[in-house]
Amino acid sequence: MNKRRPNPKQVPDPNEPLWRSTLRVAMPLNLSYIPIGLACGILLHAAGFNTLLTGLVSILIFSGGAQFLIATMLTINSPLLSIVLMLFFLELRYALLSSSLSPYLKGQSNRFLFAFAISLNDENYAINYLKFATDKKWTGKEALMVEHYSLLFWAVSNVIGSLIGSALKIDLGVVNFALTALFLYMIVMQIKNRLTIVICLVSGVLAAVCMMLTKSTLGLVISTIIASLIGFFLETTLRKHLPASHWLWKLRSPGAKKSTVESESDAN
Amino acid sequence: MSAVNTWNSTQHFWLIILGFCVAFVPRYLPLMLFTKRAIPEWFNEWMKFVPVSLFTALVVKDIFIDSATYQIIFTHFSEMIAAVIVVVIAYRTRSMAISVITGLIAVFLLSMFIA
Repeated sequence: MNKRRPNPKQVPDPNEPLWRSTLRVAMPLNLSYIPIGLACGILLHAAGFNTLLTGLVSILIFSGGAQFLIATMLTINSPLLSIVLMLFFLELRYALLSSSLSPYLKGQSNRFLFAFAISLNDENYAINYLKFATDKKWTGKEALMVEHYSLLFWAVSNVIGSLIGSALKIDLGVVNFALTALFLYMIVMQIKNRLTIVICLVSGVLAAVCMMLTKSTLGLVISTIIASLIGFFLETTLRKHLPASHWLWKLRSPGAKKSTVESESDAN
Repeated sequence: MSAVNTWNSTQHFWLIILGFCVAFVPRYLPLMLFTKRAIPEWFNEWMKFVPVSLFTALVVKDIFIDSATYQIIFTHFSEMIAAVIVVVIAYRTRSMAISVITGLIAVFLLSMFIA
């Protein structure tokens, strides 16, 4: 998800200490956590979290989406159970992330897996998955270091955001859009072929319908399950019967050249 | 949105602990299971579509669903326009930070003129 513009002429220095080479890998992510972490800290402060608890939640839950959700649901006074249930469904996607990393972590001790799972999240997953897939020398140890760097930057930004929130009066509607923008960014990073765009549209419509019917965020979960199943069946069927179908064509990730027509269709 | 929440810090603390449990289990269990045995292929193929479906659903909720009544609304014009801007920026730059910051600036400026 955090694929930056390729930096082709970067030759790694063999004598570079490990902490620095992993930090270099993690740095783009760390920097992008600063504005989002600040926004999240501000929102949590507005929801009544004190600074200490903001730090704690950033370390223990360590998920932008989940923390924004907590802040939003607290400001509309949702009951504890419904917040936790919503969090559960939101965090369920990590089952996917961690199962897709598992081939690379075979043979690691349970203690390592425990530590790895605690600080796993969407963005450091994206970096580590890419590194595992492309870099033979990338092991669990390096991956865990990247996770810890991102955790550090995230928690510190949240705490500073919380302090800013207590010092200044800020328009929350605007800050809340940081989360929407983050999700939009992650959608765009997920678009791999035309079929994915179709699934986006299906999921968007389903989400609206399901939420209107259930009158709760449970509709999100139902629509996610249905839309992902539709995607799964469509892809399996297409692969089997029409392997050359243009719906499976890969969309090349652009530099700054390609037209943005394809990406616009998933704006809603 | 009523701005004031009545919870105290102890309640927040328990929310964090419970939140930690539901955040941790989905990250840990598959890692435990699938480092020891193989992942079923169909499961992988299915799970591939989960993030994109979930994120789209969340965006739709943020932009088109009223958080109190759960009715569909088409009045958040500044968010809609900012969303299109974010998508274009994300597609072109592939940068999370630039996308989010542009989105924030866009929604801030647009909400001054529109809403």
